[in-house]
Amino acid sequence: MTEIIIGIISGIVSGTGMGGGTILIFLLSFLMGIEQHVAQATNLIFFIPTAIVAIIVNFKNKNIDIQLAIIISIFGILGAIIGANISIRIDVGILKKCFGIFLAIIAINEIYSIFKLYTKQYKNNKKIDNK
Amino acid sequence: MIKKMIIGLLAGVVSGMFSTGGGMILVPAFIHLLNLDATKSRGTSVFCILPMVVTSSFFYYQGNFIDWKVAILCAIGGTIGGYCRCKIIKKIARKVYENSFCSIFNLCFL
Repeated sequence: MTEIIIGIISGIVSGTGMGGGTILIFLLSFLMGIEQHVAQATNLIFFIPTAIVAIIVNFKNKNIDIQLAIIISIFGILGAIIGANISIRIDVGILKKCFGIFLAIIAINEIYSIFKLYTKQYKNNKKIDNK
Repeated sequence: MIKKMIIGLLAGVVSGMFSTGGGMILVPAFIHLLNLDATKSRGTSVFCILPMVVTSSFFYYQGNFIDWKVAILCAIGGTIGGYCRCKIIKKIARKVYENSFCSIFNLCFL
C-alpha cells in the first residue's frame, strides 16, 4: 500500500519539470528503507510507461525537436552506459552521498532561480510605480 | 554541435548514475544554451531521456537490482497520480503550482 501512495505522490509531482523520480527514490529509500540501488532501478521501471505516454502526447502537439532529440539521445546513451556502470560498481554508501550532493546542487540552483524571478518581478513593479 | 554533444553526454552520465535528473539537466540546458522555448524543450527532453533510461535499466537488470513488486505497485500509483495532476493543473494556475512544489521539496532536501 505504501508503494502505491509513494507512486501517487511522485506522479503528481512529476511534470513540474523537476522529475517525480527524484521524489520517488527519496521516499522509497527514506520511508521504506529500500537500498539505493534498488530504489533507482524501481524508478527506471516507473519512468518507462509515463515517458511513453508523455512522448505520444508531445508528438501529437508537435512539441519535439526531432533532429536535436536524436543527437542528444545518441550521446545520452553513451553517457548512460558510463553512468550506469559507475553506479553499479560503487558502494551503496558512496552512491547515497553522491545522490545527496546532487540533490543539494539542484535545490540551491532552484532556489537561486526562484530568487532571481522574484527580484526581476520586484524591479518591474518598481519601474511601473515610477512611471 | 559540440555543445549538444556535451549536454547529451552529461545528461546521460547523471541519468545512468542516479537514474533520475536527466531532465533537470536537459530542460535548463535547452532553454538557456540552445534557446528553445519551455514547452518544446520539455517535450524534447522526455524523448531524449527514454533511450537513456532503457539503456541504464538494462544494466540494473543485469545487476539484479530490480524489485518487480515495488516497481509495479509504484507504477500503478504513478498513473493515478499523473491523472490527478492533470485535474489539479486545470484548476490552479500552472506557475503557482510549479513554484510551490519546487520550493517545498527543495526545502525538504536541504
